[in-house]
Amino acid sequence: MTGSPPARRRPALGRSLLRLFTVQGSYNYERMQGIGVGVAEEPLLRDLGAGNGGSGGEAAYRAAVARGAHFFNAHPYLCGLVVGAAARAEHEGVPPAQVERLRAALCGPLGSLGDRLVWAGWLPFTSGLALIGVALGLDLWAVVGFLALYNVGHVTLRWWALAAGWAHGARVAAALHQPVLQRAARLSGPAMACAVGAALPLAATYLSGPFAGWSRTAFAAAAAGGVALLWWRRGKLTGLRFGLALLAVAALVGWAWR
Amino acid sequence: MTLELALLLLAWGTLVGLDLVSVPQVMIARPIVAGPIAGAILGDLGTGLQLGVLFELFQYDVLPVGATRYPEYGPATVAAVSAAHAAAGTLGIGLGALVGLVTGMAGGASIHVVRRLNARAVRAASERLEAGDPRALVRVHVTGILRDAVRAALVTALGLGLAQLTGDVFAGALTVRGLTLLHLAAAGAAVAAGVAGTLRLVGRGPNLRWFVAGVLGGTAVAWLR
Repeated sequence: MTGSPPARRRPALGRSLLRLFTVQGSYNYERMQGIGVGVAEEPLLRDLGAGNGGSGGEAAYRAAVARGAHFFNAHPYLCGLVVGAAARAEHEGVPPAQVERLRAALCGPLGSLGDRLVWAGWLPFTSGLALIGVALGLDLWAVVGFLALYNVGHVTLRWWALAAGWAHGARVAAALHQPVLQRAARLSGPAMACAVGAALPLAATYLSGPFAGWSRTAFAAAAAGGVALLWWRRGKLTGLRFGLALLAVAALVGWAWR
Repeated sequence: MTLELALLLLAWGTLVGLDLVSVPQVMIARPIVAGPIAGAILGDLGTGLQLGVLFELFQYDVLPVGATRYPEYGPATVAAVSAAHAAAGTLGIGLGALVGLVTGMAGGASIHVVRRLNARAVRAASERLEAGDPRALVRVHVTGILRDAVRAALVTALGLGLAQLTGDVFAGALTVRGLTLLHLAAAGAAVAAGVAGTLRLVGRGPNLRWFVAGVLGGTAVAWLR
């Protein structure tokens, strides 16, 4: 092992971060995000061989690039953690089999943490705030606010993941136990539930604005009946299919009821 | 709609479709963003906001974890706004929702096709990838992004075509009462999908209390307004 990597490599993190924004560009059912992770890791591996010199260095670089593009699947915003950690491990001369094991071991935890933190937390929370803003008349400002707020969290998470991966290398599991991350994961559920809970009645009121009399009652019945049906048939009936079926019925009734 | 506006919507729908999975995932693919911007392009922000809220509720029914298959509501919302705008704004919300839901289904299927094509491209380049050829790696990746851009453009074009077709076929066949029925069916289904999707996300654990508190707060604010 060679200890800490030279400081001059640090700027490559910026290039790697930019590439991480495309990490799912070649998503497929064989390597999942593997190719994207390999593309993001490649700038961090460029001087892997340069320090060793000669064809041995080139071979080490190519072997690391090939490993970087193997199967990987996790939350896209946290892929930086494996990119940084694997690149650092390659620089530290960690055996190839151990790098592969590190990548495989990170798939589950990063997927689960990211899904909880972002897809089931931060995203619906900020989207709920946007719905509340639109329903309260903020119009386009609610949309701009959503994009700004959401992406502060998004970009911060991507940068933190890459920097933490690079800082910890093969001992990256320690980064996942950071108190800030744990607290965020704990708070994201209640915050999401409260924000979306508040958004739903406001959005329903906003959408029913143009209705009056019988149509308001029919709207309430369609919504309540739909919730019951979707809950009863959960896993089998999706919102999309329910929507299409209800629209087809409404179109038929509307055509017949002239 | 002029050709210029159609091309602008096509470009916006393509960007929105790319954002969902490939690049850069900044959430312009969310209907609450895609709809209002499409509305602004058409000079009809109100319709864009209405359909943005409507499809955002449908979006709550989707949790994009792992390799699951799900509808794509971004370009669908762009097409929906185009259809609703052509059918006189609020009266066309139901028609817009119909176009959007069909486009969303097509978008979801197209993502699956692109992933299979990507897998085939990876297989074809596997020898060079295993040799650690960085140029082959980048080529496979960039081609995947271009493939997704073409997919997003095709889905948006399909949606815009459907919007045109729906305007021609349905708008004359339905009375104002029929259009209102479509509108309330779309809004009712969206609220149902939003509530059911959120309840699945919240579960029966401690978050349920926070959800109930939020619903009570939101209802109080809606009633006060």
